[in-house]
Amino acid sequence: MIELNASELKAKVFQSIHRLVEAKELVVKDATVLIGDGSVVDSMKLVELCLALEDIAAEHGFTFDWTSEAAMSRSRSMFRTAGALTEEFIRQARSTSWSS
Amino acid sequence: MVVVTGASRGLGRAIAERCHSQGVEVHGLSRTGGDALFPIHACDVSSPDDVKKVAAALKALGKPLMGLVNAAGVASMNLALTTPPSVVRKIVDTNLLGTIFCCQAFAPLMIRGKKGSIINFSTIAVALGLKGESVYVASKAGIEGFSHAFAREMADFGVRVNCIAPGPIDTDLLKGITPVQIEKIVSRQVVQKKFGPEAVCDLVELLLDDRSASLSGQVVHVGGV
Repeated sequence: MIELNASELKAKVFQSIHRLVEAKELVVKDATVLIGDGSVVDSMKLVELCLALEDIAAEHGFTFDWTSEAAMSRSRSMFRTAGALTEEFIRQARSTSWSS
Repeated sequence: MVVVTGASRGLGRAIAERCHSQGVEVHGLSRTGGDALFPIHACDVSSPDDVKKVAAALKALGKPLMGLVNAAGVASMNLALTTPPSVVRKIVDTNLLGTIFCCQAFAPLMIRGKKGSIINFSTIAVALGLKGESVYVASKAGIEGFSHAFAREMADFGVRVNCIAPGPIDTDLLKGITPVQIEKIVSRQVVQKKFGPEAVCDLVELLLDDRSASLSGQVVHVGGV
């Protein structure tokens, strides 16, 4: 079973978001909006974020799928906030470790 | 590395073989897989899961993806009124959705390298509004519109997206079209000549090359229209 540290993964997700925002004084929190009104990144940066998370996932031995129906659905989108994205990222990590 | 869909026969096969002959590493996709000088992965482009699996396998190779040629396509020569819904779906699923799913899955591999060229396929039938091809035209007109807008989405990542729109080319897609009908279509081209797969391969080679770096969001008509 792959050892996963949820806190570590959360920190990496938040760091990845922070690297892409223009306002460097921003503190990324669970409620930080990633799509729609008030989003801290544009669509291009969102793609770059997804690629960065793919790489982090690969380092931890799992594949991060950001093109699923849930990811794309506006109402349940994992991109709605940094917290939702982190939750989905950790969920995918855990579902891979349980099946290993 | 270049990915060519529809690589088992017709234009896709010709394009894949041309790229291979130029020393490019080619990975083909086709519904049945197959044998060739290059690997052909079994993949139904209308299935996003199939496409994702192949994209993941190619990503694992760790090589830059420089080109994607979406040559997989089906056609049905029939009036819209007499085309069964299942055939309508198959044409739209394979041609339009297959192109979109492949772009979605493979573009991220190009974005990483901040470079790449995607070539999608339309048809002269769109520009001419050919009778008996309305459903096929619908799927291909969708590809033209998608390619135009997708080109803008990809421009910031250094990836170009263009369409090639062939006239009548000798492949299975010409079955059911009479020589008289073919001649009529050719007579409406600027260069009134029936071109072969080699002409399409020449254009693919050009659009994959850095010398076409100024071209994106365009539809290139074989023979002109």
